Amino acid sequence: MAEKETREIATKEKQQLAQPQEQTRPGRYYVPDVNIYEFDDSLKLWADMPGVKEKDVNVTLKDGVLTIVGQVATDMYAGLRPVYTEYNVGNYYREFSLNEDIDESKIRAALRNGVLELDLPKKEKARPRQIEVRSA
Amino acid sequence: MALLRFDAETDPFGALLGLQDELQRFMRNPTFAMGPSGFGAYPPVNIFDSPEGALIVAEIPGLDTAKLSVAGAGRTVTISGEREFEPDGDGRGYHRRELNEGKFSRSIQLPEDYEAGKAEARYEAGLLVVRVPRAEHAKPRQITVQTA
Repeated sequence: MAEKETREIATKEKQQLAQPQEQTRPGRYYVPDVNIYEFDDSLKLWADMPGVKEKDVNVTLKDGVLTIVGQVATDMYAGLRPVYTEYNVGNYYREFSLNEDIDESKIRAALRNGVLELDLPKKEKARPRQIEVRSA
Repeated sequence: MALLRFDAETDPFGALLGLQDELQRFMRNPTFAMGPSGFGAYPPVNIFDSPEGALIVAEIPGLDTAKLSVAGAGRTVTISGEREFEPDGDGRGYHRRELNEGKFSRSIQLPEDYEAGKAEARYEAGLLVVRVPRAEHAKPRQITVQTA
């Protein structure tokens, strides 16, 4: 078996959100990096949201637009004095319009180690169906 | 010196704004130099100071703690690990693939006032927080004023 190649990770600068609509909450928003994979019966999405706790994530699906929002926790920084900084912290926001027909009621979300994991099951009719070819 | 003073409980939005401004300010004017492993290295770090010691906060989402290693010696803290991404099941392909995958290793050198060998590390919500205590010789000491 071929040995798996491991890459070195490079830091990508966090991408600040060019706000599609004005946020009522002040402060910088960042665009979380995501992976989206498609499976036969679902889409799965992972979004990097370091510093966000489970209770501060909000996922909505409305009119085919999936919106993910994460509010970053700031309480850990109280009383500290920054001496050297390489990244800024902020809330996360990203929207996707979904082409697939997703069953909104069955969306499941979990937050693990700062990564939001979304399971977006397709509606029955949107799933590929195996059609049996019968010979005469 | 600026101290992050805010009450996240009563004023969460003000807290975030204040924090963002302060972090932005120190991105341009760091109080101490980081040496060769600076900006652009992974993971990105922020370093804070407090009376007890230094606090290194690194954004490393999605890590299995078994694949994360933190070592401290002298005044150097080394963070290394590997992030793997292998979803279960047979996918039909991907629409987006932006998450980091791979190995990393980074050494952070603190001023002499800190003892990296006594550091403590914690990984939560994708943040690695390393507390490095102040060295004995650098701790503030109360000096008694004597009268003649």
